[in-house]
Amino acid sequence: MTAIVAPADTTRRRPAFSLARWLERPGVFSWMMVGPPIIFLGMLVGYPFFYGIWLSLLNRPVAAEGKFIGLDNYIADWHDPAFWQVVINTFVYTIVATILKMVFGLGLALVMNQDFRFKNLTRALLLLPFIVPTVLSTIAWQWILDPAFSVINWTLVTLHLIAPPGPSWLGNPDLAMGSLIIVNVWRGLPFYAITLLAGLQTISPDLYEAATIDGAGTWTKFRYITLPLMKPVIFIVTMFSVIFTFADFQLIYVLTRGGPANSTQVFATYAFDVAMNGGQFGQGAAIALTMVPALALMIAAMAIYLRPSKS
Amino acid sequence: MAGVSRQSRRDLLKVGALGAAASLAGPSIVRAAPKAMTMMHESSFIPPYDAFFKNKLAVAYEKATGIKINYEVVSVGSLLTRVTTTAENGSGPDMSTVGFNWAYLFDEKLIDVSDIAAEIGKEGGGWYDNAQEAVVVNGKWKAIPYANIGQLMNWRTDWFKEAGYEKFPDTWDELLEAGIKLKKNGHPFGFELGHGFGDNHGWLYPLLWSYGGREVEADGKTIVIDSDETARAIDYCRRLYKETMVEDCLGWTDVSNNKAFLSEQISCTNNAESILWLAKKDFPEMAKVIDQSQNPTGPKGRFHFLNVQAHAIFSHTPDKQAAKDFLRWLMKPENLGPWYDVAVTYYQPFLHKYDDAPMWNVDKRNIPYRDAVASAHLPGWPAPLSRAQVEVIAKFVVIDMFAQACAGKSTKDAIAEAKQKLTAIYKA
Repeated sequence: MTAIVAPADTTRRRPAFSLARWLERPGVFSWMMVGPPIIFLGMLVGYPFFYGIWLSLLNRPVAAEGKFIGLDNYIADWHDPAFWQVVINTFVYTIVATILKMVFGLGLALVMNQDFRFKNLTRALLLLPFIVPTVLSTIAWQWILDPAFSVINWTLVTLHLIAPPGPSWLGNPDLAMGSLIIVNVWRGLPFYAITLLAGLQTISPDLYEAATIDGAGTWTKFRYITLPLMKPVIFIVTMFSVIFTFADFQLIYVLTRGGPANSTQVFATYAFDVAMNGGQFGQGAAIALTMVPALALMIAAMAIYLRPSKS
Repeated sequence: MAGVSRQSRRDLLKVGALGAAASLAGPSIVRAAPKAMTMMHESSFIPPYDAFFKNKLAVAYEKATGIKINYEVVSVGSLLTRVTTTAENGSGPDMSTVGFNWAYLFDEKLIDVSDIAAEIGKEGGGWYDNAQEAVVVNGKWKAIPYANIGQLMNWRTDWFKEAGYEKFPDTWDELLEAGIKLKKNGHPFGFELGHGFGDNHGWLYPLLWSYGGREVEADGKTIVIDSDETARAIDYCRRLYKETMVEDCLGWTDVSNNKAFLSEQISCTNNAESILWLAKKDFPEMAKVIDQSQNPTGPKGRFHFLNVQAHAIFSHTPDKQAAKDFLRWLMKPENLGPWYDVAVTYYQPFLHKYDDAPMWNVDKRNIPYRDAVASAHLPGWPAPLSRAQVEVIAKFVVIDMFAQACAGKSTKDAIAEAKQKLTAIYKA
């Protein structure tokens, strides 16, 4: 009974301030959680990005003061024949490599989703190309693609399929782009396969069972169950892949440095050459930044096309 | 590093305070020497060369002056990036090797060393004139050139002999003739035409010049790439590529030709002395049949590529005089001479005093590298150093003009594209 008796002291007292309670307030706690990543992103992504935009509007040679020149760097790019070659190269490289990674990645994920002996070991091994530092694995590819030492050419020559020394994988401008795409696909495939595999494992087996009872074949199940349910995962993984491939640097710089005759020069390598080797920071920043609208357009187009259906 | 520069800054304050006190007290000025300074170098292809600096020169200098010289080595190909960050941030090593046209690129961040350059030149029998092409900016020496790493013809004497050549062909035309025969015998040529940073420039610019072609006039403004001379150089290059070389060299970077030569895939290339050096060490039998020669001559003469290595002092260095004193000491014959000797002639001096140095007698096959120094120029020659020239190199304008022609583009179109690029770059 005493519990419901009003306290004798009727003056209102604010509860003593408690740091623990204050920290638990949603308004405070949420900012505490979100704050550090925002600061982190602001410092490491936001600042360089906006500084990059500013740089691209300057005539800013290395070790000298910058001078504001408006859009002159972009106009210079527009009139630079090498820049347009870079644009075409980057799109070809990104689109072809991404499609190949998507197709083979999905195939690999479907195979890995089956039950077989050494399944876990195989899955772990699959990640190897992704784990090995790019520069290291690319140097291995340099040997593979060198006609004199190439295991591919050796095999083809030994089987009398071609005359020695065989194709010049990095010396022929057309083959060079193809070779880089193959190396990029080899390296990016595990990322696709493992991510898609994770997506596949979230699909309930009941759906497949129900479809089997309804008489659906393998293709029908893939087309009407797997693919629609995988769309969000495919979208995310493709988006990441497009970004990585579009801005690829290491692989190309090690294998061809943009040669032969600029046939494999892409945004990142060209921007680096102009900014670091040419000492023109403003122009380098302008080249790098032209990637942004192109990339945004590609991602927007993908977002619309791969939008998960509301139903 | 941070420790060193902090220490140096404190010393600088001390110097300032002491200087002020001294000027008040009387005429004698006290200067506190820094405890340490750092010199940055790209890792040498000749390992004993780096070791000699670290273990002999730096030690001797510390013994003589009490100043420790740290020797910071960066990997091949990354020196420009390091110099850029050092100059931009105004902190890091006190001195560095600079190459190519960097003295111009970093002009404002490097101190004037004209005074010691004059002394060194006097003591060393005079500078080669072209050494100044790479280091004198607006009349001031911004670095002390200590060596050229020449790019010359490396060839297999046994295979050339087989094709009827006892000597290396004297003209580009004779080289083409020889190459056709050698390729027929299964020993093609291989010259870099890709996006490397040395071996492509090493022969393509000299080829262009020896046919009378050039990018820009001496005024540094008038674009003259579109000429019959350039067209003839390109036509020649296309033939040389198609009729004598392996297809792959269009995509080569700097390591590729060394690899191809030492694995006996090619019979001739343009390179520094590194091929013969490595062959002597690892393939002694092959080394016996390798020779080195100057570039062939063309209708307008014989040219080579200037690959200057020079020491520069960053303007952020707390004690500039101490850094100058060190460079002055380093360039003294008793210190520089033995340093050259460990690398035999891989580093070719720009001082006439060394024209007959004993190192040239170690292997007569190296002598062409000495004789080539005087006819070597920087890309962009005969125009003076400029940012535009640096950009032309970074964008591979001239290299790609030749490469495109070799890959199938017409001479006219290749020149037109190069002209368009050059016009855009030089207008800036």
